[in-house]
Amino acid sequence: MIRLRNVTKAYGNIKALDNVNLEIGAGEMALVVGASGAGKSTLMKLLYREEKPDSGQIIIGNIDVGSLSHTKIPYLRRRMGIVFQDFKLLPHKSAFENVAYALRGLGAEEYEIQKRVSGALKLVGLLDRAFNLPSELSGGEQQRVGIARAIVQGPPLVIADEPTGNLDPNTSFEIFTLLERIAQRGTTILVSTHNQSLVKHFGKRVITLDKGKVISDTGSTFTTGSGGGFARS
Amino acid sequence: MRELRVVWRTLQEAWSSIKSSGISNFIVISILAVALALFGGVLQLNSSIKQISQNLDTQLEFSIYLLDSANVEDIARQISRLDKVEKVEIVTKDVAWQRFKEKFDFRDISGNPLPNTLHVNIRRPQDLDEVITEVKKLSGIEQISYAPELFNGLERIRSILFSFGILITLILALGTITIVSNTIQLVIKSRSLEIEILRLVGVDDWFIRGPFIFHGIFYGVASALLAIVPLLLFQNFVWNSFQTSFKTIMPVTFNFDSGSDLGMIFFILALTGILVCGTSSYFTTERYIKI
Repeated sequence: MIRLRNVTKAYGNIKALDNVNLEIGAGEMALVVGASGAGKSTLMKLLYREEKPDSGQIIIGNIDVGSLSHTKIPYLRRRMGIVFQDFKLLPHKSAFENVAYALRGLGAEEYEIQKRVSGALKLVGLLDRAFNLPSELSGGEQQRVGIARAIVQGPPLVIADEPTGNLDPNTSFEIFTLLERIAQRGTTILVSTHNQSLVKHFGKRVITLDKGKVISDTGSTFTTGSGGGFARS
Repeated sequence: MRELRVVWRTLQEAWSSIKSSGISNFIVISILAVALALFGGVLQLNSSIKQISQNLDTQLEFSIYLLDSANVEDIARQISRLDKVEKVEIVTKDVAWQRFKEKFDFRDISGNPLPNTLHVNIRRPQDLDEVITEVKKLSGIEQISYAPELFNGLERIRSILFSFGILITLILALGTITIVSNTIQLVIKSRSLEIEILRLVGVDDWFIRGPFIFHGIFYGVASALLAIVPLLLFQNFVWNSFQTSFKTIMPVTFNFDSGSDLGMIFFILALTGILVCGTSSYFTTERYIKI
């Protein structure tokens, strides 16, 4: 699903990622760990083409992310869901509208929006809070809305950048459990975190970054090679 | 169908964008409306003077202003003897002054500055130059007022007004572009979270930028609608009243209707407003929205 070959990204003289090689299989859940400034967020941003690598190759499915033209970036992003540390919810829209917002922009029909949003909110356990504003939801519930938004299009890949960074330990555990459940449905999940207790508890593949280099990788239990539904259309 | 839904939702987003701009909308539309009204006024005046000029080309009438020492009846007799002259009307300075005072209500002015005047009608417009040449040979003539002379004068006035009006319009348009750009920039900043979410979920560029461009276009159309109001008022009250006065004091008669051009002027104003605001919005989104 995801393949990085000798990927380097620098900001000025500082190398955020230095010659990184990685392979993550379709349907796999992998955790990227490391101290602040290790390169976790840069790795995530490169995957959804918020940043472009200085050198090396990033392949997601069959798409060469680094060489994507500007106009093709939306096609890449439609095939992945992104979860943010700060939730990025629109404060004046309900949970339902936050999840539906992107679908409307993509031109989905109303009945399809109703069906998909309800399904996503049900999966994250928030169907009964669908019409609450973010300010009426707890931090954990807000992040679950963020996850519902990420999966509402049924993407084969979900990228979560420090999804529990703003949450207490119990809520963080709930969010990880939810992400694990989504992975069990066949979605590839890549999560960056610095929460070691969660990493130990869930026993998933762990990729450790330090100063932009992969210093350890517990290895994949999945076979790679399939596009995992992440094909260019 | 998907494309139509996206366009409809883009328009809905544009409406949200307009609503969120609040008082800024009023400021932008007012300033742009002043610029467009000025531009429309220049176009209207230009069009009207052109019509007058075209009318002048086919005039069969001209006026001769005589020196006070001249023998009015004698000169009138000599002119009426010319083959190509159909009629000569004498308007003595007393009659002209009386008419002028009645028209403009100048009862308290003493003295009569107006000359004795002859209104001459010729048979065919193409004979005008020949008759004028003959008349110029007569003594006692102070000035001859005829179409080509008036035509040249009007053309000079039209040219000056047009250039000056266009210059002022351009200055106001530049100011408007800056204001529109700043307003759209503020809206983009206030909606930065929505924009970020939309681009990260893979929404098309057009859906993200479109509402801001439609927002600009709305400014253009609204300003054009507002700008046409003073032009309509000018047309219906000032210009029509001017025509009546003009006919009274000028030696020639006209039949022109600048109202027929108002539709075209509105079209030009709307197009100009849309182009100015739409382009300004487009470049602002290009600069401030990173996809």
